[in-house]
Amino acid sequence: MSFERIKPHLPWITLLVLVLLVGIANPSFFDPAGLLSLVTDVVPLFIMALGMTFAIYIGGIDLSVQQLANLVTVIATVYLAKFGVGVALVAVAAGFIVGAISGFVTTRLYVPSFVSTLAMGFVALSAAKYFSGQRALYMDAELRNSSFGWMFGNTAGVPHELVIAIVLLVLAWFLQTRTTFGRSLKAVGSGEPAAIASGLNVDRVKILAFAISGVFAAVAGLIFSVKLSGGDANLANGFLLLAIVAVLVGGTPLTGGVGGVLNTAIGTLIVMVIRAAMVYLEIDATQQQMVFGIVLIAAIALTIDRSKLRGVVK
Amino acid sequence: MTEVVAQTAPRASFLTRDRIIKWAPLLVLVFLTLVFPFFEWLEDLQEGKQHLFLVDSRFFSIRNAARILIASTPALMVAIGVTFIILMGSIDLSMEGTVSVCAVIFAFAFISWGGTLASWAWLAIPLALVVGAVLGFINGLVHVRLKIPSFMASLAMGFVGTGFALLLTGGDRIRVEDEIFRSLLTVRWFNFPIMVYVALAMTLLAWFIQSRTTLGRNFYAVGGGEELAHASGLNVTRVRLMGFTLAGVFFAMGALLAVGRIGIAETATGNNFMFISITAVVVGGTALWGGIGGVWNTLVGVLIVNVINNGMVVIGLPSYAQDGVLGLLVIIAVVLSTDRKSVSFVK
Repeated sequence: MSFERIKPHLPWITLLVLVLLVGIANPSFFDPAGLLSLVTDVVPLFIMALGMTFAIYIGGIDLSVQQLANLVTVIATVYLAKFGVGVALVAVAAGFIVGAISGFVTTRLYVPSFVSTLAMGFVALSAAKYFSGQRALYMDAELRNSSFGWMFGNTAGVPHELVIAIVLLVLAWFLQTRTTFGRSLKAVGSGEPAAIASGLNVDRVKILAFAISGVFAAVAGLIFSVKLSGGDANLANGFLLLAIVAVLVGGTPLTGGVGGVLNTAIGTLIVMVIRAAMVYLEIDATQQQMVFGIVLIAAIALTIDRSKLRGVVK
Repeated sequence: MTEVVAQTAPRASFLTRDRIIKWAPLLVLVFLTLVFPFFEWLEDLQEGKQHLFLVDSRFFSIRNAARILIASTPALMVAIGVTFIILMGSIDLSMEGTVSVCAVIFAFAFISWGGTLASWAWLAIPLALVVGAVLGFINGLVHVRLKIPSFMASLAMGFVGTGFALLLTGGDRIRVEDEIFRSLLTVRWFNFPIMVYVALAMTLLAWFIQSRTTLGRNFYAVGGGEELAHASGLNVTRVRLMGFTLAGVFFAMGALLAVGRIGIAETATGNNFMFISITAVVVGGTALWGGIGGVWNTLVGVLIVNVINNGMVVIGLPSYAQDGVLGLLVIIAVVLSTDRKSVSFVK
């Protein structure tokens, strides 16, 4: 059996092996309540990674997600009093606009996505600093509970946060596999020149992909903000690396075209298990970034489709 | 009888696209150094305090020039390092991690070997440069040997670097208080501190490497067309590895100047270098596609970025606007430097 045939199955095999390893070393890992809280903790990251999947699926990348989530935590906190639940719409709109601008700059102005999204991330950072007055802000507890308290309840033992994540996953999965837009994404990711030649409006597909990435990042920021009951221009820092890792270890390669949102779900769980293992092995938080950086390199090297790079790797 | 027809009019060929791109950054820099004093003058006029334009300007003064140059020097070193990489058409986003690691290792070695430049502690300086070279080399290896696009390979290596620096310090700050080392900042010759002259010397060295060595010419060859360079017998892999190693040395130099400027080495020493240096390189007119630009462009670019940062403070623009302005500047610079006819699509 060749490696190329095992490759698509590698993510879930990795997940299974990791879970077994961690479980054997520490049987309390399988405690349902503990496991459930681990999964719930990873929800904002998962939502951000879901959005990132769309950007990577078309062969781009979105480096603005972290700053965008930061901006949304600030917007949500500042405008909660004014709009109530409606602040969610403001957040989603902000995410859509920033993402769409990144997409526009990438497709129409020919700026590579890693530069355009990096730059838009700094624009978002500026906006976050402006809205927050460069301070850490806190939500009014009563207002938070009346508007967004439902996010953190339980129904029959299932946390609502998890339900939100699953609903978004189903939505993203539907978008990716059951719509024309999803097929176009696949076409663009598999080979952009071919997609252009067959008359697809590639620019529109790419702009939408970045906009979706922005929307999911905004939702992640909103949930994170409500969870921590506040907003700050640096609150979501540290998410970017983990979101990219989640997408790539899930099996969506940097070159795009294969993988997808279900892979990202597996990838996020892998990240979660690695994190749990590090806590168990008493590797403290400061070293985790290093470990995930190395995991990232390994994941890219394993998944990337080198035939698409046409011999030249810049 | 045939008449000799005049070819293209000289006026039309004077303002070619290439020429505009070549000189635009310098013109922008000159424009900025004049426009900030103008706003300052306008502001004073509104408040009823008249001053002579340029002559009595707080912005256009030697004291402020020194301030801008001091702020520029560490970023200049980092930006020069990444210039070599961008000339090859690749990119290096690992500078924040590399700078932090070099700064922290330098500080630890410096303090444990005596804590003053007058002792064996001076060896910490070459050590830091070697560490930078090693990190750059590893970065290049990951990119070249694993065939990962450089932006992602270096971004990941940057995360590893920052994590490693955090591991070394455990979050602590290390103070480097040696007077001789700090004289980089405190001793001034002709109004400018020594670190400015050190940076100038390193810039000349970089210019020498770029224009007077085989390696420098190879950077341009790889950036101008990698397949062609490969076909003409150039060992592209080796050039790339050397490029990343050289960039690492300049990142380490940036780390040394950053520590010299603030007197503290910590994990956060490398913060913000990535965006500022990339901005400076592209604003200076080095094309992201490779092959065009160089060290002098980067010098102009770094000055543009720092003049904007400083000028915005002088004319009283809020500090939160800076990141956004730089973000827009990057997009504009890349758009202007892109020849749309030669690009079919970008990822």
